[in-house]
Amino acid sequence: MSKYDLPKKFDHKDIDILKPFITETGKIIPARVTGVSASNQRKITKSIKIARFLALLPYTDMHQ
Amino acid sequence: MKKYEAVIILNPNLSSKVDEFKKDFEKLLADNSFKIVKTEDVGRRQLAYSIANHNKGHYLLFNLEGDPSKLLEIETKIKYNESIIRHLFLVVKEHSGEDSGLFIEAKNKKPEPVEVEEKKVVEEVETKPAEENSEKKEAEESSKEGDDNE
Repeated sequence: MSKYDLPKKFDHKDIDILKPFITETGKIIPARVTGVSASNQRKITKSIKIARFLALLPYTDMHQ
Repeated sequence: MKKYEAVIILNPNLSSKVDEFKKDFEKLLADNSFKIVKTEDVGRRQLAYSIANHNKGHYLLFNLEGDPSKLLEIETKIKYNESIIRHLFLVVKEHSGEDSGLFIEAKNKKPEPVEVEEKKVVEEVETKPAEENSEKKEAEESSKEGDDNE
């Protein structure tokens, strides 16, 4: 059991679900740290990358 | 026929003309035989990083159905539309049919920013004369104090 509330379908528009999986600097946290299954980690990664493109999540904390 | 999810970020300065843009965009979609299943107007939102020197963006979400070949024509037109600062079309297997997280968040927040903006305008108008008066008073007082000291 993971400590995160994971939905069946990941969506790039649900930022609140994705936020626990990025660091303060905006990096994606590896699955070996969060303990999420490989399948879920792939979905999370994909959603985070789309959310970044749409300026919903930062790529880094160095944005001006 | 394929199902699409579209996100469009508009120039925040054109926020008041959103309805006009929506009509134009819906017409463009209809001309290319695209069907709009659902529209969500999220409204102005803070961007995580600035795009083309904009810190805010007006988000519009669409659920669409249409032909992939026609989508190319739509995208070329969107490319040269300067009011759109970013757009994304994603192919989906099924439309979720539910409100997205963004839209729900915006709904819960929406009443506040509108009020705040109106208040700000009123406050600015009210505070300006008051500040001038207080400055004058202060100046008078300071001059009086100066007199006392002498």
